[in-house]
Amino acid sequence: MITWYLVYRIIVDDIIFYPPIYQFLIIPGLIAALLVALFIIWFERKAAAFVQMRYGPREIAPRIGGAIQLVADLTRYALQEIIIPETVDVLPYILSPIIMIILALLPLEAVPLTSIRTYFPIPPDYSLLIAVALSTLSPLFVVLMSWASNNKFAVVGGIRESFIITAYELIAVLGFLSAAAMTQSFNIVNIVNIQMSGKWLGLLNPIALLAVFIAVLMSTSGFPFEIPDSESELVAGPYTEYTGLLYGLNMGGGYIKRWVFSILIALVFLGGWAPYKPVPGIITGYFIPSLIVSIKALIVMAIMSFLRSVYGRYRVDQALGIAWEILIPLTLAAFGLGLAEAYFGII
Amino acid sequence: MESSTSGSVVPHLPGMEVSELSKNTYEVYIGPAHPGSGHMRIIVEVDGDIMVRVDPDIGFVHRTMEKLAEGRDWIKNIPLFERMAILDACNITLPYVEAVEKLLGTEPPERARYLRTLLCEINRIASHLYGMGIFGVFLGHSTLYMWAFGDREVFIDLAEQMSGARLTHSYPVFGGVRRDIPDDFPEGARKATRYMRNRLNEYAKIFLNNPNIRSRLENVGVMSKNLATELGIVGPNLRASGVRYDVRLNEPYEAYGELEFEIPVFEEGDSLARAWARVEEIRQSLNIIDKVVDWLEKHPRENFMHEKFWKTAPKLYKDVYTGQIDYAGKYRVKLMPLFASLKVPPGKAFARVEAGRGEMVYYVESDGKDVPYRVRVVSPSFRNVIAFKYLMPGHRLMDLPAIYGSFDYFPPEWDR
Amino acid sequence: MPAKVALKRNPKKNPLGRVFVGNIGALAIGLKYFLDPNRITLLYPHEYIKLRQGYRGFIVLIQDKCISCSSCARICPARAMKMLSVKVFDKRLKKEMVKKFPVINYNRCIFCGYCVDVCPTEALYHVPYHDLVYMNMQDMILSLEDFQKEPENVSAKEGIPVRYVFDEKRGLVKIKQEEEKKEISQPVEQTKQQESTKQQTNNPEPKSVNKGGVNQ
Ligand code: SF4
Ligand code: SF4
Repeated sequence: MITWYLVYRIIVDDIIFYPPIYQFLIIPGLIAALLVALFIIWFERKAAAFVQMRYGPREIAPRIGGAIQLVADLTRYALQEIIIPETVDVLPYILSPIIMIILALLPLEAVPLTSIRTYFPIPPDYSLLIAVALSTLSPLFVVLMSWASNNKFAVVGGIRESFIITAYELIAVLGFLSAAAMTQSFNIVNIVNIQMSGKWLGLLNPIALLAVFIAVLMSTSGFPFEIPDSESELVAGPYTEYTGLLYGLNMGGGYIKRWVFSILIALVFLGGWAPYKPVPGIITGYFIPSLIVSIKALIVMAIMSFLRSVYGRYRVDQALGIAWEILIPLTLAAFGLGLAEAYFGII
Repeated sequence: MESSTSGSVVPHLPGMEVSELSKNTYEVYIGPAHPGSGHMRIIVEVDGDIMVRVDPDIGFVHRTMEKLAEGRDWIKNIPLFERMAILDACNITLPYVEAVEKLLGTEPPERARYLRTLLCEINRIASHLYGMGIFGVFLGHSTLYMWAFGDREVFIDLAEQMSGARLTHSYPVFGGVRRDIPDDFPEGARKATRYMRNRLNEYAKIFLNNPNIRSRLENVGVMSKNLATELGIVGPNLRASGVRYDVRLNEPYEAYGELEFEIPVFEEGDSLARAWARVEEIRQSLNIIDKVVDWLEKHPRENFMHEKFWKTAPKLYKDVYTGQIDYAGKYRVKLMPLFASLKVPPGKAFARVEAGRGEMVYYVESDGKDVPYRVRVVSPSFRNVIAFKYLMPGHRLMDLPAIYGSFDYFPPEWDR
Repeated sequence: MPAKVALKRNPKKNPLGRVFVGNIGALAIGLKYFLDPNRITLLYPHEYIKLRQGYRGFIVLIQDKCISCSSCARICPARAMKMLSVKVFDKRLKKEMVKKFPVINYNRCIFCGYCVDVCPTEALYHVPYHDLVYMNMQDMILSLEDFQKEPENVSAKEGIPVRYVFDEKRGLVKIKQEEEKKEISQPVEQTKQQESTKQQTNNPEPKSVNKGGVNQ
């Protein structure tokens, strides 16, 4: 009996709820991200359909409004033949989507999702800095992908991707750092604890929140903001030569990046697990706070998805102009605002 | 025979244009199988992100319509020419019918003229909405795409009630039209126009006044008055450059001379002005529809076919028109058997109308046989396509869809 | 009163107002339709449009009325209609004789309706539906027998009929046939409404129901 109990404890504590594994694979990692993708893609289609005089996905499961449409789509992608063109550079061509997905999930390893010490995946002292730094890695592989594809459209798309990423990741990083300036800490646990009293940083510093929001919207290339793979002149940009599951990975990559950033936004600006105070215990101390954060992040993503039906695509130079001429001064202003608020002790 | 392409010697084959690329440019082929090109190819040479040479390459959907027309009876050419732009079917075939009517010496009666005008305006709205929808999706604005196509359905439905077909109406025939409007048509048409007026304001809010879209369109692809006239641009694109030219204004045909409406002329000549010109034209077309429907309601249902054809009609034809035969429908104008073997007196005729995309010109020559000797078609898209070559260079590659879409592309029309 | 020119300019707004007013206007419209969607989609196999009489759908021949004048075959712009010589028993002359009757090839037909309009005796008519499936190209060339039957309306087997009516607020509004019937069964002005709907849905009586559907 005792041995079985020990096995159970080992499986639960040391494998499933072992923080690095839990966060990478379960919440908010791979499984949660998949569920979120399932929901968000459905929501995006439905919201767009509502605005656009349509029904959206419906036929797969009419009772629940076609919610499992993505499963059908994924099955299709998975069963499709993966065609590897002769002209591509095979190894980077195949590896880069896979590495991109893994790297896109990596920042989740760095964010603590509870204030209980035993459930930190890594020591949280510089977790904000590390998470933001890790989030800038995966776009490199989009550029690699475009180069390996050896296609004109892909190369143009890759160049655009690198332009956009440089500009907008900088804004995202600066925006997150203005939160660090306000709280004088890179520790996400500290940042969330400060917001426990209801003073969410997003409310104290809405400029930073707005800047980060726009930066995430642009840098993760969701539908109307997909300047690197804008369909009307670049077919599918860096992903032009991809088929089947590899293409599906690329499509999922954008959503995962967005999801990671949304988690960061929820933690830093929207109070993390705020109204709830984690108490020791796996469920109450780890599962519930991580769920609260996920739901907040989901709402952020839903708002981003809704914007798809209102806006069109910016031109690449305009997008860069907005970044360098408007948003970066705005983010610096947000940074100053944060400093000022910290100085006058509003926080 | 010199066959190597190395060095400066470039082989010249007849009908083939070979040009050398400079070292630091990059050639992108947009089309013919490209999500953003339609049935054409645009060869773009980019220097960095700036287009330096743009070469619209047309001809991918050429169907030899003019030649085909020479082997077909006069009336059979109407459904053929419709295939140039089925979404603008009445406008496209009307000048052909008018030209043949000139040769035959028949004038359509008054009611037929109003009915033709009505369907032409319905077609114009549907065609503009189609163009705007494509324009929207080119700019990544999927909502406008869906809205425009959804609202186009309203007008297609109106056209279907009038003519019995959604797109290929084949509505005007020599000497008249093929049907009269059904009884409940005026009511539906008025509701549709009122609805569309509201919708146009919403289009402006979500698309044309949306800062995102405005920044894409403003000062992009500016076509000056001089350039537009030099290139022979037609239609709303010309009027967006400030030129006051519209066939409905300069040479009123059908019932346009008796109707009061405005022709919107914009001065900027950029993509935004072209989009606005379409919106304003839709608004005017709605006014015209209202007026024509009023007129049709006030006037008795007679005179829809030329006397010459109608006076030989047996009683059955009148029964069909008044709906006496239960399976045959109502208000259908029967074609005379003589249409099948119509011989048109020798002569030359020329007719033009203002179609959705611009001036549509037909030149018809007959040598007295039952098939035309020559039919020459000049379609508006064909005249507009040259603008790409002059407007696009100097812009960024991402402006290509913004300019292309603003011209309301329709390759099947310019290829014929 | 001919047309007159109206000079216009792109609407101008000051830059700050444009950013705020424009964005908020766009978002508000988006939100309005998100909360109150205006759907016009036809859920096709589950619903189908009951088209009004006068729609140019499939064509049916009434052989008794045909006088073999060949006008329909001559005017057909797609050469879809051909005359076929068959032996028939002429009732008036009381003897067997060879007569020509039209048959149609739906591979070619473009549904222009010229043949129906030109027929001097109304021997041809349109049925108001157009969605049929043929198993192969050969089946689309109808025999004289098939040409006289109304093709089976396959979408009516699966879907429920709807009708689109115009509306000021919503453009086109879908009305299910059952709801329509309910409206009619209300006692107010019952007869009048019934009459009007009767006219709209006034289909030609099916001459013979094609049990086996399309020739297989
Ligand atoms: S509808 Fe037109 S194409 Fe079809 S058979 Fe009749 S005339 Fe020919
Ligand atoms: S036009 Fe009418 S009567 Fe003449 S052959 Fe055709 S179907 Fe028969």
